[in-house]
Amino acid sequence: MTATTTLSATSAPGATSVGRWGLIITGSIVGLALFLAAFGGLLAPDALVQDILLGATPPGTPGHPLGTDALGRDVLALLIAGTGSAVAGPVVIALGSMLIGILVGTVAGYVSGPLDFTVGRVTDLLLALPVVVVAIVIAGIFGSGYWVTVAMLILLFAPSDIRLVRAAVIEQSARPYIESARMLRLSSARIMFRHILPNVSPIIVTNALVNLAIAIVALSSLSFLGVGVAPDAADWGRQLTDGRSLLLANPAAALAPALAIVVVACAVNLLGDAVAARSMSRGGRA
Amino acid sequence: MSALQTTSAAGAVDAPDGDALLKATGLTVSGPRGPIVLPLDLEVTAGRTLAIVGESGSGKSLTARALTGLLDSGLRADGELALRGREYSLARADVPWRALRGSAVSLLLQDPFTSLSPVHRCGRQIADTVRATAKRAGRRLARAAVDAIVAERLTEVGLDPAVAGRYPHELSGGMRQRVAIAAAIAGDPDVLIADEPTTALDASTQAEVLAVIAELQRRRGLGVILISHDLSVVRGVADDVIVLYAGGVAEVGPAAAVLDTAVHPYTARLLAADPPLDERLEALPGIPGSVPSPGERPAGCAFAPRCALATELCSTQAPPLDLVATGARAACHHSSQPLTIDARRPGADPAPVGADDEPLLSVRGLRARHGAVTVVDDVDVQVHASEIVGIVGESGSGKTTVARCVAGLHTDFDGEILLAGAPLARRLAARDPRAVQVVFQDPYSALNPRMTIGDTLREALAVGRRPASHLPELLASVGLPPHYERKRPRDLSGGERQRVALARALAPQPRVLICDESVSALDVSVQAQILGLIHSIRDEFGIAVLFISHDLAVVRQVCDSVVVLRRGRAVESGAVGAVLGAPQHEYTRALLAASRPLDAREGPS
Repeated sequence: MTATTTLSATSAPGATSVGRWGLIITGSIVGLALFLAAFGGLLAPDALVQDILLGATPPGTPGHPLGTDALGRDVLALLIAGTGSAVAGPVVIALGSMLIGILVGTVAGYVSGPLDFTVGRVTDLLLALPVVVVAIVIAGIFGSGYWVTVAMLILLFAPSDIRLVRAAVIEQSARPYIESARMLRLSSARIMFRHILPNVSPIIVTNALVNLAIAIVALSSLSFLGVGVAPDAADWGRQLTDGRSLLLANPAAALAPALAIVVVACAVNLLGDAVAARSMSRGGRA
Repeated sequence: MSALQTTSAAGAVDAPDGDALLKATGLTVSGPRGPIVLPLDLEVTAGRTLAIVGESGSGKSLTARALTGLLDSGLRADGELALRGREYSLARADVPWRALRGSAVSLLLQDPFTSLSPVHRCGRQIADTVRATAKRAGRRLARAAVDAIVAERLTEVGLDPAVAGRYPHELSGGMRQRVAIAAAIAGDPDVLIADEPTTALDASTQAEVLAVIAELQRRRGLGVILISHDLSVVRGVADDVIVLYAGGVAEVGPAAAVLDTAVHPYTARLLAADPPLDERLEALPGIPGSVPSPGERPAGCAFAPRCALATELCSTQAPPLDLVATGARAACHHSSQPLTIDARRPGADPAPVGADDEPLLSVRGLRARHGAVTVVDDVDVQVHASEIVGIVGESGSGKTTVARCVAGLHTDFDGEILLAGAPLARRLAARDPRAVQVVFQDPYSALNPRMTIGDTLREALAVGRRPASHLPELLASVGLPPHYERKRPRDLSGGERQRVALARALAPQPRVLICDESVSALDVSVQAQILGLIHSIRDEFGIAVLFISHDLAVVRQVCDSVVVLRRGRAVESGAVGAVLGAPQHEYTRALLAASRPLDAREGPS
């Protein structure tokens, strides 16, 4: 009853898992990645220009701070130009699966019954599939274009989003404010999208950021395996594959894209944590 | 002599009592935004009970936690604590809690449904404490010895030793709380601190649990600190009482002095706002305003903004805690003057409402199921226009299911639900929102946290095909000023949220209003306001009200007639004065007896 509510004012404000500086650093990294994804092609227009005679050179070669790869391409320029395919695809994957999750998950969670049952079984089935293996198989059948791969990953990511949104919606649906909205005979669409959705949005946003980090790794893994990007395209995963054999001639050719993948994925993940912590301390019960 | 040695706010300490089991001096609790509990002195001796009474935000639970070293991180206790004859400083955090908790002082929590681990058998949960205490004393107990002590503790709290082999989910709420008590005393503590030990339980179970604690206290010479918001629980159990308001002591002294001849206006008004069981009052006097939230204590006397006696002095200078004529101490600038609070005026039980007319809402032969279990069995309820009909019963009696069937939120039932003679559609989807509306129990989840009050109410007005310009009028009808339109639920107190929930239910101008435990989660001082509001709404709109409650005293004050449910069946019904004043059914009598303070009963069995 009323007795326990006095304890609720105790959590220190702003206490997130990463802290204030962590938030600034991770935010800057993610911001830089998004900026390079949008404008990297303009900043490094010559990324794909080859210089076979030069070949692989170590970092510090004049004009090539990170050296060159086996084809004499500048590693730094490739890295900048590759941000686009490394980040843009995952952003589309995270947003796309979030959208499917919201639409299907909200309806399945609010309108229980046969629809919910069907959605539940289909998502169970999809969740049982190993993402990368299915992606390779599908690429083998339908070809391995970049956007085909992205679309396929959206479909593979969506079931967990559907599950998550559905569970959050069911949890909200039993609350008195939703029952009151039902008593007022507000339309189901209004209850779902005006009343329930804003109250589950912190979970959805947090999950989308986590998905973004996973998608960066998944898409890079696929391009490392040769799925999704053309052999000569600028892409972190592709760069990592090509650079593997140059570890002695130019370690940066492999390590730079690897580090980029790790740093951006971690930053996005931590940012997701911070967003989750913040929306929890702000929203709380109120 | 009082077992309490209190200090004035200036800090003059009385001579310490030699036989105190637990004594705190200048105890404070501070959070990140400043002090939450102001300096507090308390002491408990063997065999006596000290009650700490207060509404939400009074700091009573934090006090309990500070006394057991269980404050959440981010909170800090300060002051001196004497336990087992040794002095400790809470500020230096040098209290050896691991050695003292469970053996010197033990904490019993409110909710037996969450304070026991669901995956361990009850015996194991008691045995853990027994073993830990023995280990600290440097002994290792054999398994058989531990089992014997567990069986002994269970017997002590009136349970069969075989309960040791059961899981908590196999027990009733009352039995679980007894197991929790057995675990709390497993290490033979000197002092038991019980934080709202009966709040989560039914009235009849409450009495049992209080009797178990009283019996243990008598047999073991246990010192008990009872934390409660419920004055009727405290009355008859406590020897001494501390009344807390917004983290500070309002009044402290022997129970008789504080509860019978209150000097502080807050104590007096809190007592006046507590609904009586045995008579209908003309109006239940609430306290205007609401309890300040923790950390937002007003300057001067914290109660001044809600006090009829407040003068300029009260809002600028904090009153000292002074000895008054009754033998208690009160923190009030006006404590030397006789207290004139509007006395509670007895009223007559209401005359039956239109018994000959056709009822507006008529429930006939209602039989409702949850899955395979029949939870409501052949219940009839009639509610006339302008009538408030109470449905009372313990948890599991089916009272809420009746309400949900009428509301259209529960559809698995047989029987008839008629509104003005015409059947109400079973499913909500086929109903007119202007037929029935509901106000639920929990004010904290009653409103969409993301919408302003104005948006919430305009949406409800639109449902009733009323223009948005009716909003100020709607807010006024529940006693809220127009500028509340721009507020969000988190800016509102519990009572204010419940007012908004009431306004939302009234917006479509329904013919029937269901109040499902709508005042149960509110502080007593605010509960009286909302009950008054329900009355004025009934008078103004001529609405039929179905009032679901477990609290017979509240029902006595608010309802015209009442239906008593027991395990899904109606055992008695009729005018509220007749049913609660001269009950015919044995079960109604038992419910009434359990609702009385302990000292008004024949004594614990």
